[in-house]
Amino acid sequence: MPPLEHVLVVNAILFCIGVMGVLTRRNAVLILLSVELMLNAVSLNFVAFAVYGKIDFGNITGVVFAFFIIVVAAAEVALALGIVVRTFRNRATANVDEVNLLKW
Amino acid sequence: MDDGTTATQVVFWVFAVLMLLSAAGVVLAGNIVYAALFFIASLGGVAAIYLILTVEFIALAQVLIYGTAVVILILFALMLTRARERPQALYGHTRPLGVIAALGLLAAFIGGIVSTAWVEPASRAEFIPVSLQDIGDVIFTIWLVPFIVVGVLLSIALDGAILLAGPEGDD
Repeated sequence: MPPLEHVLVVNAILFCIGVMGVLTRRNAVLILLSVELMLNAVSLNFVAFAVYGKIDFGNITGVVFAFFIIVVAAAEVALALGIVVRTFRNRATANVDEVNLLKW
Repeated sequence: MDDGTTATQVVFWVFAVLMLLSAAGVVLAGNIVYAALFFIASLGGVAAIYLILTVEFIALAQVLIYGTAVVILILFALMLTRARERPQALYGHTRPLGVIAALGLLAAFIGGIVSTAWVEPASRAEFIPVSLQDIGDVIFTIWLVPFIVVGVLLSIALDGAILLAGPEGDD
């Protein structure tokens, strides 16, 4: 087993790559991919803490949380892609900075 | 014992570096379809790390849900939005700020991880894998109601996605 700190550092890097994608990309689908990267980092963190603390704390709630994160992320992807397809049909673009109907 | 631990660490770092490189590819690739393919590789790396952490069930769910369903949805959305036709404008004008913000966040995270005095886990000495039976016991006793709620949430979200993307009623 790798030490807990190594797993946490890898997850932090993965999360920050996702943050960078969300803040720099224009295409809505690519922003969604970056959000998925961030969700993966978080659920890996949950699993890491659950596995490493299993003997000391006696429960594996973090693994259940990771499972729930995966399920909710699947629901989120389906809804977000529905919105992207609908937006593309109405405004002929998938770039978030061109969808400015609500911008004041 | 020591050899096994070292070998596991080497395998962990190989998959971690592969996963991080593919994740960087998702963010930096110039072609949107390439970014989606890098995303698949990155998901594979995450599933491998789940396996190294001995949670086979989560690794399996990751491959089944992310690796197939989510990736196919995303590829369909890319094709339906004809994203490949305009590859020249992939980044907004906030790109330098985004990179700086992400690097600052990373520095804060790593500083926090390094400066924390972690309790030496007993599991490093004698490691007990998380078995499928453990997960089932927990999900179907303590987390039974949230489990059902998540199922309802999933079906509502999928119905909503069909309504959103389906044919428009009046206009």
